[in-house]
Amino acid sequence: MMERKVVEKEISIGPVHPALIEPYRIRLFVNDEIVEDCEININMAYRGIERLLEGLPVEKALLITERVCGICSNVHTWNSVRVVEAGLRIEVPDRANYIRVLINEIQRIASHLIFFGHAFEVLGHETFAMRSFLLREVFMDLMAYIGGNRVMPAVPVIGGIRPRADLTDSLKRVISERINDFEKKYREYVERILADSMIMSRLTGVGLLSKEDAIKYHATGPNGRASGWNYDIRTLMHEYEPFDFEVIVLNEGDNKARVVQRALEVFECLKIIRQILKNLPEGPIVNRDWIPGKMNYTISYFEAFRGELMHSCALDSQGLIRGYKIRTPTPTNLAAMERACVGDHITDAILTIASCDPCLTCCTRVEVINFDESKTMTVMDIMKKYGRR
Amino acid sequence: MELLITSLIAAIISIPYSLIIPGIERKIQARIQQRIGPPILTPGFWAVLKFYYKKDVEPIAFLSRFYKSLIWLGIFIVLFLLFFSMPSWWNILGWASILGLVGLLKLEESLYVFMGAQSQSFLSTTMPVPDLAKGAKGIGIHREFLEQHSAERAIKMMAVGSLPLYIALLVPFAIAKSAMISEVVRVQNPGFFSLAFSLPSNPILFTVPGFLATIVYFIGYVILLNEKPFSILKAKIDVIEGGVLEYAAKLRAGYYIMRNLLLFVLSSIFVTLFLGIPFDPLKPFYLIFNIILSLIMPIALSILVAFSPILTFRQIYPSAVGLSVLGALALIISILGV
Amino acid sequence: MGLKAIARKNAIHAMLVYTGGCNGCDIEVVNAIFSPRYDIEQYRVLITWNPREADVLIVTGCVTWQMVEPLKKLYSLIPDPKGVVAVGACAINGNVYKNMVGDIGVNEEVFAPVDNIIPVDVKVPGCAPRPEDIIMGAVKAVPKLMEAP
Repeated sequence: MMERKVVEKEISIGPVHPALIEPYRIRLFVNDEIVEDCEININMAYRGIERLLEGLPVEKALLITERVCGICSNVHTWNSVRVVEAGLRIEVPDRANYIRVLINEIQRIASHLIFFGHAFEVLGHETFAMRSFLLREVFMDLMAYIGGNRVMPAVPVIGGIRPRADLTDSLKRVISERINDFEKKYREYVERILADSMIMSRLTGVGLLSKEDAIKYHATGPNGRASGWNYDIRTLMHEYEPFDFEVIVLNEGDNKARVVQRALEVFECLKIIRQILKNLPEGPIVNRDWIPGKMNYTISYFEAFRGELMHSCALDSQGLIRGYKIRTPTPTNLAAMERACVGDHITDAILTIASCDPCLTCCTRVEVINFDESKTMTVMDIMKKYGRR
Repeated sequence: MELLITSLIAAIISIPYSLIIPGIERKIQARIQQRIGPPILTPGFWAVLKFYYKKDVEPIAFLSRFYKSLIWLGIFIVLFLLFFSMPSWWNILGWASILGLVGLLKLEESLYVFMGAQSQSFLSTTMPVPDLAKGAKGIGIHREFLEQHSAERAIKMMAVGSLPLYIALLVPFAIAKSAMISEVVRVQNPGFFSLAFSLPSNPILFTVPGFLATIVYFIGYVILLNEKPFSILKAKIDVIEGGVLEYAAKLRAGYYIMRNLLLFVLSSIFVTLFLGIPFDPLKPFYLIFNIILSLIMPIALSILVAFSPILTFRQIYPSAVGLSVLGALALIISILGV
Repeated sequence: MGLKAIARKNAIHAMLVYTGGCNGCDIEVVNAIFSPRYDIEQYRVLITWNPREADVLIVTGCVTWQMVEPLKKLYSLIPDPKGVVAVGACAINGNVYKNMVGDIGVNEEVFAPVDNIIPVDVKVPGCAPRPEDIIMGAVKAVPKLMEAP
């Protein structure tokens, strides 16, 4: 027998709203306070990035792929570089790989700390949100020291890394000092959160996502790992082979698990950074011995901060990009979010969406609406046909 | 005549004074959050002046004039709350009693319901984005403004949330065995009626039921002011500010005055009822003591706000019931006269 | 300097509108507000999420076409006097999304610069601008507010 849902009214939020700083729209179908259904509309950030990349020289493409997302900029640069390196069979020096991993892990910590900031802001706890942003400044500084920019460090280039981003001894010492200091403060911060009964009463048992659902909707990354799905592409990547780290898997699948999972993952990142500083090999940092030429369609998978990331493209005989495709982790996480927030209070539902760490700027795509005529419509077409609202 | 003059003086003193409170509050929170924070006059005093000097705009509301009048009604209600606790009003028609206070507070709470029902801000349903064009789910369902949802929450808070405050308000009256504020003050501070200044000889705050009632009163105060953790009806993350969203320019200044005045008046009433030091414009010593002591509650409030998240109804119902039980316990103890 | 100008100088309510783009500027603005290291509130800039309360509108991002109407509406709702600060290269000239196109020539999805849609008073360049610059930009909008009748 099917359960009948009573939907009393619809509450729509966004795109200008304090809880969702990015432009997207949440439509909650509620019965009194309980969310019965949820629809997330993410088209407001559509910029047509894949189309822009068509016909650009590969080196220039790095500028655009870095700007797919400002929180995980290094991930996109690195992965687009990996596609070309795999397709053209370019050897990357070991030292370059180490430094790429270093900047990636630094940015992963910064991203997880943004997550804490956002989640506690949505929870209503300003003090912890601010504390998290204060802790994050350590890593923003490190990124500025290494890459020259706080947000877009632009470290990987095809064949290695930018010469500016090479690690000197003094920089190594600065990094190790800063992360030691950070770890002490961060440990206190996490213990303080876990001891706060008011916050725990908001987080525990809300926004449940079972392991079956996580696999069904392909909620990769920390969300899947918090639901007991042991899936981390870092374990399969050859860049991460020299490093020893654990994949944190929790089984609860509620908001608390998602917060704790990321909190623990930061410690693993610190572990990797320490290993890099200890074992950094000497040698060249960039391999300039390559020419852009014909490249077949190549796919590269990568563990971004929010889950599985796919970049793929081909080059024509002049070395121009053809058929660039990006699939970011958030579209699959979105479906999981819509599933997870059903059955909770509205305030909790928005917290659930925040706790899945949405980063929607990177994932907006064309939508298929009209199934009868089997026609693909862009949002622009839809608006021409149906009008606004 | 004396009535008019004292009321006028009270309004002139209390309104500017109350505008300092949000600055102090904000400063304390900022210090807890390890930052410098705004200057003390900025969030209250200068903000109100600035809003006063802004160009008037018409709010988007269902009944625009009614919506605009609500804010002035609110200010008058809060002012009368203060007047009722003043000695010069104690002999007028018996309003200076538990009945007057509770009645006005209930009216004040219900203002949020009316505001929420009227306001139709563009931040939710009327946002001009292609929305229904997606059309996947829920075609033809009633689409509600955020403010209306806030109004529904306000009704729930009226029914459940404000109970603790009223029970706590009853306790001093039960100890004094009278419904009048004058009797409550007489029990605690007999010297008030004869001397220019005398400290209260036996304040209710330091008795067992009084102390319990103070705790309940404080939480009730937080609930009535819709501050965190009980700010569900204007939770920033879903309903943004609730019914007051559409107030702009002079009306926003009015809203700031109303809220800050309520912040001050409720803690002034606390000092009157639990410590026996009334807000009396004709006796400056009492006046100064009263307004200094009434800073205690906003300061405690700001510390609570800095350390707490927003609670949902899942947590609010049990905590309101628990607090009511505590308040009822205090009431029973005070009636038995332990 | 009259009371009016002093009041306007001493309390500035800023509102953030994010109109598509890469999140970078957005996070930096949030950083300027929420990070105790930068703490915009000490410069008398208070943050709000309600257009009716705002004086200064901080716009980030290349304006995607879906955000054009909300942005115009939002601007019209802010009571006078008001200032607009465009933060980031996207808001000023469209950045890579507008100027670095491959085969398609013109990117029709992006309506940047913000100047095309609403009048802009202060521009803060950078990709992404540092929080210090953003605070400075927000404060630079103040003289316009003070001089307004």
